[in-house]
Formats: sequence, structure tokens, C-alpha cells
Amino acid sequence: MEMLFHVVVFPGLLYVLLWTVALFWFFRKFMAALHKRIGPSFNGPGGSFQTLFDLSKLLTKESITPKGVNPYLFSMMPLLAATIAMLPTALIPWTPTITVVESQYSLLGLVVLIGIEPFLLFLTGFGSDNKYSFLGGIRILTQMISMETSFFLAALSPAILFGTLSLQSIVEQSTWLSFWILLPGFGLYFIALLGLLEQPPFNIPDAEQEIVYGFYTEYSGTNYFLLKLAEFAEFMAVFAGAATLFLGGFKGLFFESYFCLFIKMIIVAVFMMAIRASTPRITMKHMLDFSWTYLVPLSLLNIAWIMLAKIFIFGAVS
Amino acid sequence: MLRVFDFFAHAKSESLWMAHFCTGCCSLEMAAAMGPRYDWERYGFLPTPTPRQADILIITGLVTKKMLPALLRTYAQMPEPKYVLALGACSFDGGPYNDSLAVIKNPTEILPADVFVAGCPPKPEAIISGMEEIKKKMKKGIPSAASQGGLWREMKF
Amino acid sequence: MEGDEILMQNIKNILTSYETEYVEDYKKVWIKTKLEKSSDLLEVAKALQENGLRTISTVSATDFLSENKIEMNYFFEDILTKRNCWLKCDIPREIENCSIDSITPLFAGADWHEREVFSMFGIKFTGHPDLRPIIVSQDFYDKTPFRKDFDWDAHEENIVENMNMIAESFANEEEENEKKLDPHGSDTILNWGPTHPASGPIRLKVHCDGEDVISIDPDIGFVWRALEHLVTKKDFIGAIVAVERLCFMDNINSMVGYCQAVEEIAGVEITDFAKYMRVVLGEVARLSSHMMGMAGFYNAMGLHTVMMWNMDMREFFLDFLESYSGARIATAAIEPGGVRYGLQPNMLMELQSALDKFDKTKDDIRAIFIKNPTMKLRAAKLGIITPDEVLDYALCGVVARASGVKTDIRIDEPYAAYADIKMDYVTQKSGSSQDRLIQIFEEMEQSIDIIKQAKKHIEEKIESGEFDPIKDHMVKVPKKLPKGEAISRVEWARGEVLMHLVTEDKATSPYRLKMKAPSFNHTMMLNHLLAGETLSDIPLVFGSLYICQGDLDR
Repeated sequence: MEMLFHVVVFPGLLYVLLWTVALFWFFRKFMAALHKRIGPSFNGPGGSFQTLFDLSKLLTKESITPKGVNPYLFSMMPLLAATIAMLPTALIPWTPTITVVESQYSLLGLVVLIGIEPFLLFLTGFGSDNKYSFLGGIRILTQMISMETSFFLAALSPAILFGTLSLQSIVEQSTWLSFWILLPGFGLYFIALLGLLEQPPFNIPDAEQEIVYGFYTEYSGTNYFLLKLAEFAEFMAVFAGAATLFLGGFKGLFFESYFCLFIKMIIVAVFMMAIRASTPRITMKHMLDFSWTYLVPLSLLNIAWIMLAKIFIFGAVS
Repeated sequence: MLRVFDFFAHAKSESLWMAHFCTGCCSLEMAAAMGPRYDWERYGFLPTPTPRQADILIITGLVTKKMLPALLRTYAQMPEPKYVLALGACSFDGGPYNDSLAVIKNPTEILPADVFVAGCPPKPEAIISGMEEIKKKMKKGIPSAASQGGLWREMKF
Repeated sequence: MEGDEILMQNIKNILTSYETEYVEDYKKVWIKTKLEKSSDLLEVAKALQENGLRTISTVSATDFLSENKIEMNYFFEDILTKRNCWLKCDIPREIENCSIDSITPLFAGADWHEREVFSMFGIKFTGHPDLRPIIVSQDFYDKTPFRKDFDWDAHEENIVENMNMIAESFANEEEENEKKLDPHGSDTILNWGPTHPASGPIRLKVHCDGEDVISIDPDIGFVWRALEHLVTKKDFIGAIVAVERLCFMDNINSMVGYCQAVEEIAGVEITDFAKYMRVVLGEVARLSSHMMGMAGFYNAMGLHTVMMWNMDMREFFLDFLESYSGARIATAAIEPGGVRYGLQPNMLMELQSALDKFDKTKDDIRAIFIKNPTMKLRAAKLGIITPDEVLDYALCGVVARASGVKTDIRIDEPYAAYADIKMDYVTQKSGSSQDRLIQIFEEMEQSIDIIKQAKKHIEEKIESGEFDPIKDHMVKVPKKLPKGEAISRVEWARGEVLMHLVTEDKATSPYRLKMKAPSFNHTMMLNHLLAGETLSDIPLVFGSLYICQGDLDR
């Protein structure tokens, strides 16, 4: 019974849906504020029903399957992408007591599930039989290869520092000292996160002005809803990963609860949006340059720093 | 008869996304309607980059002969239910280009529009109020004009 | 003789060595001439080019049905020394003999202009490398829509067949592309537009190999309204409706250009007050256009914040236009004989609040978006236009000045009240996309400065009683104009606009109006700038060239 609650309500399906609706609304409101606008405001208090209506509308619109595509691949991929993107929620320790799947290797599961997502999105673009979708698919694959290297390396740093792959234990062992030691790692994780989530300045795979909408181009109705859901579920996994790995998860200044984790996730989201509102998109070439000449070497240096810190600082304290 | 609040129909009418397509000069005022002073996102309107996710096609002013196939194709690519909003005098009768040889005088006879917004170009307030009219139509369950008729079915595009 | 006069004399010497009907001075910086024989054209053009007149502003044809001839007009310019030559010659009107030597091999900038004349008048340019129809829709291929004897009604009768033909030709083109491309190769042809989110009504046929652009062939004419033909159906005041729709972003200055040409033929001098009002209104329109231009540049990189912030400022300037003319965009505020309305005190207050708004916002924009490191990373070395290319391709306005070429019609050939206003050329050095953005921003600041000067002058003169803001705005222009022709140039938001107006005796409507608009030349550059770059650079270069499809197609 408790398991059913976890799967359906928290942190399962309903929670992800609610998160999607709320974060979509928050993004739009926040973006609007930076644009000197108001954003959605007439549906519900502060326009908070707006995104609910938007997503419900997508559910009931016609889903077009274009001529010339493999219908199985075309409609299967969004469903698969949404499912895979929701799985990491089971691994995150949401509160001191709620972790749906407790495992010694949950960090490994988290990064692998996050890492496989771009490949599924590549397949959606590949299966769309559209030149622009295909270009978007190729771009997402290129970005995945160059960004995930540093993402994995950055996510590895708390594991090395605490000597464990269990997220629960990482959160329990985290202290103010470990926060400062992991801060460079957090910076790298954050940059890699922008690349992984296709956020500016790395929103190259769905660059509207260049390749229409990348891999989203041919999707409509329910399929598009599922892709949107996958996108926001991935946001959740990555933000929660950031909060858990580097910012002490559910731990707070005064009490330990889900609320503290949530605040940390929102802080990461706000940083992401501020960059989104002020930074133009870079090109594929610049992204590859940046990733392989700066980000990956820095991630490796960070690993070295963590090891040194573990021996000389962290080890000495504990 | 008991009328149940139809959530999904309400959601459909309250969330109108429009295809990013400009056929003429009224798109300049459409951009102003997106801007900070008028901000049509308050009402739940959002531009989408591809017609596949759009609910409304906006004929922004004049339609030239060369543009018409692209317009009809964009309309055909949109998923049902889809509505058409015609901006400006040009989309009604050619407006100031009525004498011109390259502009189609009656684009809305070919692709019937649900709501016309007057003006050359219409002010942003008028564009937003035109969109609100479409919302009303959707709430009443009136099918879109283009699905009922129009010359566009007989044309090649 | 002074230096300028010697240079002008050089042109005259060249021209008099050929058989000409007349060689005469026209305005301050023009020499007007007519060749006896059209076969001399190529030699004269070559001689002029060697003398420094490297730029061909436009090629325009006028169809004289009663005299059974077509008159060709060539406008040569020397941007560096500010000398211009207006060259005319006659060619026969019969469609078989209707041909003239192409000057495209000498002047690269004449390419599309000659294609335009070819599609509108059916004049064949012998020696043109790529004489395909341009602008016109497919049903006008091999026809002569702008000739006076073209039968519109007969053409309109077949509208259904014509429409189907246009649709078919698009489908055929797609099939041909499929055949042309290697089925096992990785290159493809992308249609960038007209439904593309960043393109607007233009189609770039992008031949690309993966992300690399091999070549670009712009297909234009999606908003071709045949404005040049439309004005001939209206009277002189009604024509401003068509002229201002050249492009709505900056409509005032195009109306100024047209009205100056009408005033010149009518022999009317407008009041000082109207001149200053034209400056104020023109600069406000330029500002509102530049704000959209900056927005277009950043939108191309997926950042909409600039558009929103600029839109916020722009509304205040549009408020001024609305309080003055009653319309936000389609103002129709300039009329032959002056400006349409008088000036009320509340209008100046609106203007002041717009200026204040700009002064308040500009520092933020400069700090965040002009000095933006990510923008510099992308745009600093992209789409570089050298000063030589500016001269060869007849680029103008923002694009030319960003390459360091000192050209500005407001200074070169002052019109309205610009002669009395203190201003200098604003230029950048490298001519990259980044410089074009900075150029737009610095020109906005210059415009604000000009508005402040003009506003101060108007206020002072009103106070001293020399200007009567209610009555002075207009002088009467006769309804019927004498036979004549005039050209007038204005510095538009996007560059030089040249209006060539021809009237018949006792005319109530223009006989022929040629509008040379800057985006036409700028779009010509796209293939040159983008071949070898990547797909990501297309929107950025396109946005940085500040192209508006309205004045591209006319």
C-alpha cells in the first residue's frame, strides 16, 4: 500500500505532473518578470491554472503522425522518454524517510538514467522524417557526448569525497565543510546541467531560429505532452540531483524535510532562468570548443582537488 | 439537461498557441501585442515555432499570390481543432493593396477566418480582443469556419 | 576651382567625350545626362567606374507608351567623394529588340536590380550572368507587369490557374532538388522560410552538407505588393499610403523622400517649421525601427529579452506618433507641402517622456547586451563586410557605416532641416555582425541627440513667435503637377532610399515611381557572407544585416 502511494502520488506520477505544471508556470512568470511583463495572470490566482490548461489541452488535441514515418518509433519514443525521465525520482532521498528504492548504488542509477535521456530524444528526431528534426537529433547526440563527460565527472566528486555511491548516505554525511569543498564541482555540474537540459546558452538542439524546433518539430498533441513531461521530469531529476549531491539534500539550517530540498531545487532553477534571460545561444562549434578545452579538463582537475581535499582536509577533520 | 463543466473544452479555449507565421505588416503589431505593455501572455496566448503545436493561425495582413500555398500548407499541418484569426483590412478585401496586382483580395474566402480584426494595422488591444472572441467561440462549441467550407480544399498547395 | 568642382568637372569631361543629348548639373551633388546611343553605355560606365563612381545605386526603367520608347536610368554614386551621376538612355520598346548591355560584370551591385527590371519590363540585359526573374510570382514569368499596356484584367481572369501554377512550381522545384542531389550524399536543400520562426516572409534555399552551408539562394517576393505600380493608380496625396507601406518599421522617412520629389516637381518650398517637424518625426521613426533591428539581432540567437525591453521603450515613442497623427504605425503624417498636422503642447510632452524613458533604460542595455561576452564570442568574427564590398555592392546605412565607410545622406546631401543640425558620421571599424549591432545602438543615441536639438529649436522659435505651430505646418501644393521628373534621397533607418518620380503634363497621379530600398542590396550579400559558415550563423547574419522584407519586395 505504501509502495502504491509512492508510485502514484509521491514522488511518483502525480507529483511529477504537479511539478511539471507548477514549474512551467514558474518559468513563465519568472521569464515574464525579467522581460518587464506580467506573464499568465487571468486563469486562476496569478495565472497558476494557465499551464494546467495548456497541458490538458495538449492531451486532448489531435496527435498527428506524419506520412512516411515509422508509426511505432514515432509514438513509442515520447512515451519511453517520459517514463525513463520519471524513474530517477525513485532514487532521490526526498525526506529522511522517503526513498522509494534504497540502493547502495543509487548515484550510479541516477546519472545513468539522466544520461540515457538525450539518446531517446535523438531517436524522436531521427524517427520524425523531417530534415530539421533530424538535424536536431544529430545536434543533441553531439551535445550529449561532450556534456555528459563532465556531468559524470562532476557527479562523481561527492562519491569520491564521501566514499559511497548511495545518495542517502551522501546527504547524511554532508556538512558545511564538504559544501565548500564540493563548490567547484557544483559549478561544473551546473554548467554541464545547462548543456544536458538544452538550456541557454546550450539550447542548440531545439534552436528555434536555426532548425525550427529541433526534434520537437513534428510532434503534436499527446506526444508533445509526453515530451514536455519528459523535459520537466528531467529538470526535476537533475535539480534534485544537484541539491542532493552538492547542497545537502533535505538537510536544512534548522530542520530536515522535503521543504529544504525543494527550496534548493528552486534556487538552481532560478539561476538557470536568469542565465536564460540574459545569454544568447552559442553555436555547436563553440559548445564543442568550450566543452573539450575547458569543461572536461576542469572536471578532471576537480577530481584531483577532491582527492587531495579528502586526504588532507576532510580526512583530517573526520 | 444537466450541464457538466467540461474541463477539457475549457482548457482548450483558455490556452491558445499560435503558429509563428507572418504574411504581412500586421505582424509588427502582433509583436507589440507580445511586448511588455500589452503582454498577451496574460491571457494565455503563446507563440509556437511549429504549426504542429498551434491552435490558431493568424493571417497577419496581406497575403500575396506567392505566399498563399505556404499559408494553406501551414493551416493543413495544424492539428484539430484549429481556428483562424484574420488581422487588418488586407485579409478582408485587400485593404490599401486592393488595386495591387500581386495581392490576393479575398484570402478569407479561400481560408475562412473565424474572427476579423479591423484596422490597418489593428492596435494590439484589438488583436487581443479578437483572440478573446475566438475563446468565446470555442467555449460555445462553434466549429471553426475553415472546417465548414472555403475554397482551400479545392486548391493545390 | 575648388577640389570638389574639379572632381565634378572630371565626370563632365568623360560624359562630353561621348555623344550626349545634354550634360547638366542637378542639385548640388548630381550630374544628369542622357546618352544618344544605348550601345555606349558599357564604355561610359567603365570610364565612370575608373573615375571613382564605383557604386550603382539602382537601375530603373520608365515606359513611355506614347513615345514608344523605354528610358533607362542608371544612378552611379561615388560614396567617398560624394559625387553622383544620373545617366539616361533610350531603348526601343518592342519586346524583341528591347535589350541593353548588362553592367553587372562591372558593377556587382547591379545584379538583382537588372533582374528586377527584366522581370518587370521584359528588358533583356545581354551579358548578365544569371538573368532569372526575381520578386514576381511565378504567374508573371515571361510577362511584363509594369509596362503601361499590360492587361491586368485579362491576367486576373485566370486567377485559379495561376494559383495552381504557383503551387505546382513549388512542388516541381522540390522534385528537381531531389533529382539534383546525390541520393547517397549527405548534402541537402533546406527551405529556410517562409514559415520558419526567424525568417519572416522570405525563403532562403540553403544548400547544406550537415551543418555546413554550401550556398544560399534567396527566393524573395513573398510580400511583393507592386507598390511602384500601385502609386500610379492613386493621386499624389493618396500615394503616400502606398509609399509608407514600403516598410512599417520606419515609414516616416520613406514618405519624406516621396514628398520631397513631389515638392521639387511642383516647385514648392516648405516652411522651416515643417522641416524641423520632419526631422523630429523621422528620427522618432528611425528610433522605433532601430529598436526592432536590435531585437531582431538578439532574437536570432534565441534571446527575447532585448526585444521586450526595446518594445517597452518603443511604446513611448509610438505614443508620441499616436498623439501626433492618431495612429501608432500607419501615421501618414508627412504630406507633399509639409507635415499633415499642427503641433500641440501635449505632443511635445509625450516626446519628452519617451526621451526620458530612453535615457533611463539605455545604460542597462549597454551594460547587459552591447558588452555581452557571449554575443561577442559569436558575432565578432562573423559576416565581415569590407569597405570595398560596401562600395561594390552598394550597401548603405547601418551596414555600410559599421564597415567604416562614411556615408550618411543626412550629411552628404542634407534634406529637411538636417543642414542646421550638428551631427557627425557614426562609424565602426571591422564591419562584423557585432559592429552592426553596436552601430545600431550608437545611431539610436545619435537620433536622441538630434531629436533633442530639433525639439529645443522648435520650442525656442515657438516661444519667440517665429513658428506658428498650428498654421505653419503646410503650404499648398497644386493638385495638378507639370511634366517633370525628380529624384530624392533620404537616409532611411536601414540606409539610403532613392525615389525617382516621373510625372506627365497636368498629372494628377505619378506616372512612374521607382523606390530603391536598401534591403535589396543587403540580401544580395547573403550568399557571399554565409557560404562556408554553419547553419547556426544564418539567422545571426540575416538579423545583423537588418533586413526587412517589406522594402526588400516592395
